[in-house]
Amino acid sequence: MPPLMQQLVLDLQLPAPPSFEGFVRGDNAEPLFMLGEWLAGAEDVRFLYLWGEAGVGKSYLLAAAAARCGGTVIQPPAALPDTLSGDEALIVDGVDTLGAEQQIRLFDHYNTLREGRGRLLASGRLPPMLLPLRDDLTTRLGWGLVYQLKALSDADKVAALKQRAVALGFDLSDDAAEYLLRHATRDLPALNAVLERANVHALSLRRPVTVPLLREVLGVGREEGKAGREEGRGKREG
Amino acid sequence: MSALENCWSHCLATLEERLGADQFRIWIRPLVAEANGDALSLIVPNQIFLQFIRDRYMGLIEEAATTFFNGEPPSIELKVGSAARKAPPPQTPAAPAQPASARPAIQSFAPSAPPAARPALAAAAANHETTRLNPNFTFETLVTGKANQLARAAAEQVAENPGVSYNPLFVYGGVGLGKTHLIQAIGNLVHQRNPQTKIRYIHAEKYVADVVKAYQHKAFDEFKRYYHSLDLLLIDDIQFFVGKDKTQEEFFYAFNALVEAHKQIIITSDRYPKEIDGLQERLTSRFSWGLTVAIEPPELEMRVAILMKKAERENFKLDSTVAFFVAKNIRSNVRELEGALKRVLAYARFTNQPLTLEAAKEALRDILAAGNRQISVENIQKTVADYYKIKVADMHSKKRTRDIARPRQIAMALTKELTQMSLPAVGEAFGGRDHTTVLHACRTIEDLRQNDTELAHQYGVLLQMLRS
Repeated sequence: MPPLMQQLVLDLQLPAPPSFEGFVRGDNAEPLFMLGEWLAGAEDVRFLYLWGEAGVGKSYLLAAAAARCGGTVIQPPAALPDTLSGDEALIVDGVDTLGAEQQIRLFDHYNTLREGRGRLLASGRLPPMLLPLRDDLTTRLGWGLVYQLKALSDADKVAALKQRAVALGFDLSDDAAEYLLRHATRDLPALNAVLERANVHALSLRRPVTVPLLREVLGVGREEGKAGREEGRGKREG
Repeated sequence: MSALENCWSHCLATLEERLGADQFRIWIRPLVAEANGDALSLIVPNQIFLQFIRDRYMGLIEEAATTFFNGEPPSIELKVGSAARKAPPPQTPAAPAQPASARPAIQSFAPSAPPAARPALAAAAANHETTRLNPNFTFETLVTGKANQLARAAAEQVAENPGVSYNPLFVYGGVGLGKTHLIQAIGNLVHQRNPQTKIRYIHAEKYVADVVKAYQHKAFDEFKRYYHSLDLLLIDDIQFFVGKDKTQEEFFYAFNALVEAHKQIIITSDRYPKEIDGLQERLTSRFSWGLTVAIEPPELEMRVAILMKKAERENFKLDSTVAFFVAKNIRSNVRELEGALKRVLAYARFTNQPLTLEAAKEALRDILAAGNRQISVENIQKTVADYYKIKVADMHSKKRTRDIARPRQIAMALTKELTQMSLPAVGEAFGGRDHTTVLHACRTIEDLRQNDTELAHQYGVLLQMLRS
């Protein structure tokens, strides 16, 4: 029997474009609703701050909001704009990492937006009052609507992984999803990254994504996976 | 009218004067008095209201009744009942529902605009734009309590006689306590009375940027001409001038020019002028030429009043039990308080449910969980020691010199206020002292807070630092 050829897979997996449809809401129905209101320009939700631990989807939601309103997300160390008109919508991700000068700029922009009819959507790892930033900025962030984005439950993570798998073009079994939750880092971006690696690995071997394949992916690791692909490419060229 | 009815009218008048319009309207006006034989029954809307009146206002009511009856007051009882008046209906800023007597007297001087004066109104509106004042920041929308009543009185006086009474007026206090609202209220009132007055509100950060721009464009003459021509300059957060020598120099000239011409300057800062490190001494000394007033963190009653007033402005009828719950749990500053109210209102909108106490608890669950970090005695000792520049070890030492003993007493009082520790445990944490020493410290600090404004301010600052 001839040895199974490895399929060359272009490692150009595009990240899924952030969208609200692609976000599993879990216990975050209210902040998502308010984000919708923010996008709709609701007067009561001009200033919205979302906080939560790494991997709960802050950057994803901000990117989805920016895509929806045709804006951009400013992510430090990228600098905030020098000037701003009072009716703009500003989106800033990870305010907890703003440097001293940028904090003053955000403070300034906040005042400009508030005096005008502008809007601010911001995120950080901590609630406003615990942010390691200037007091006059944290109190302003706490002045608007503040929501904690909560991590998904395991059941919601399974649903999110299955959704992502369908987007990648395969079905993820309950067993495989369960295996991922038990063996990989459990925040959603990390789980999705494993899923994407598993997809590439499965395509290259023309095998379905199963528990044994996931075991290989998690055990083999990225470097060896790359080496495997190189080897496959070499064989084909030969 | 019976003697008891007369007595109650006297009590109302006294309390309105003592408490200020907002607290009076929220807590005292809803009470209904009934004569019950020789006793006076006060009917309140609910149990929480009753407890609040008993804890906070009963002493004042009894005092007023005692004065009325020349030392022999009737017995006064509180009862929950449906006869109590409903809370006042929501009001819009354009049509205040306050009684005329509750409004600041100075409001009566406001010029009324006759229908024929439309072009003049338009001109005034255009002129208002140049002031950069927020028209919503007025004395009418400013909630007043113990924390800011002195500052408000000074501000009203300055608005009455700009450039004459206190120049400069220097308002200081922690972030989010309403300094900007207060000083802009002065600007708005001065503008309302005389739209021709050349007023400019500017945040210190923007002033710094203006100086830089003038420097880059070699336009200092124009810069000077503009700032020196103002009748009223309101400059917010002057601590932003720290380390900006050129800005400080320009402001020094502007300050001198304006004060010499009897033009009013109003300044805010997060600190007492002399505590702003990095500000030239010639500026800080000038800041004390006029009047320096502090704004303290709002006390519970004021926080409740702020919430009720804010909800009214949003046309929302906020139940007093909900306001009480939010005010009791969110303590550090007004912005955070308003943020919490927004969250509660948003929750009601999202769930489409009436805003009950349970709903408010649910809405604020994550905010409260984040804020309910335990404040430890070690944290208090370190914060107080850092603030007074003494060693943490002095909190435990036997030294009894004033510069060490006083901060230690303050730390003990803060520990009693902010933790659930027993007094013997507090004594133990402060170098194995007896619980009576702790009690003595707490009483001493309580007395000093009443009589020593500087200490009261320091205590307020420490409270805010520890809570936020």
